[in-house]
Amino acid sequence: MSFREKSDWLSFASLCLLAIYFFEIGRGVLTDSQPSGPYYYFKLFWWLIGVLIAIQVVTHSVLARRSPQDAQAPADERERLIHLRATPPAYFVLLVGAFMTIGTMHMGFSVWQFAHCILFVIWIAELLRYGMRLYYYRRAV
Amino acid sequence: MGENHITNAIRRLRFEHGEMTQQALAERIGVTRQTVNAIEQGKYSPSLEVAFRISSVFGLPLDAVFQYQPEAAKKAP
Repeated sequence: MSFREKSDWLSFASLCLLAIYFFEIGRGVLTDSQPSGPYYYFKLFWWLIGVLIAIQVVTHSVLARRSPQDAQAPADERERLIHLRATPPAYFVLLVGAFMTIGTMHMGFSVWQFAHCILFVIWIAELLRYGMRLYYYRRAV
Repeated sequence: MGENHITNAIRRLRFEHGEMTQQALAERIGVTRQTVNAIEQGKYSPSLEVAFRISSVFGLPLDAVFQYQPEAAKKAP
């Protein structure tokens, strides 16, 4: 497995951490329950972002130390092709999600809910982008 | 992706050139070992530039390394 494929696996896995946040948001909305403590969602979000960054930095540093040549080498043509092919599906999801989010303006969503719809769409699009990359890496293109 | 009609003799040529490893070939042509493996298995068709680099490593013309076989691809299950 190349350095970039490992890096994409790590990015995909660490992005999955944000599922905790959206699960909590969804639980709060569906059960109409109040969060435990002020700024609960704010704290949870930034805590998860901090963990995500820490995981990315630490794991990528370890990977780069283990295979410094791979880490420093620029992406070759196959890797660039994989990255190019993985982007359109994610962009499509982002576009559809953005229009659907605009639609929520007519459903009486608050600014807070509107912002979370956008965040959710960005998250799904990023997950899809990394997922598609991994799919193409596994297929060898 | 579409059918790959291009076959190659890279694996045989590597062994005929002192059992050259995929990593050694990859370093000489400036791609990753995984890309060399994908080319060898016919899963990825390299750019013309990389194809020329590969053939120059083996000191052979391009068509001695890569062959275009549309019929072979049609017959494959």
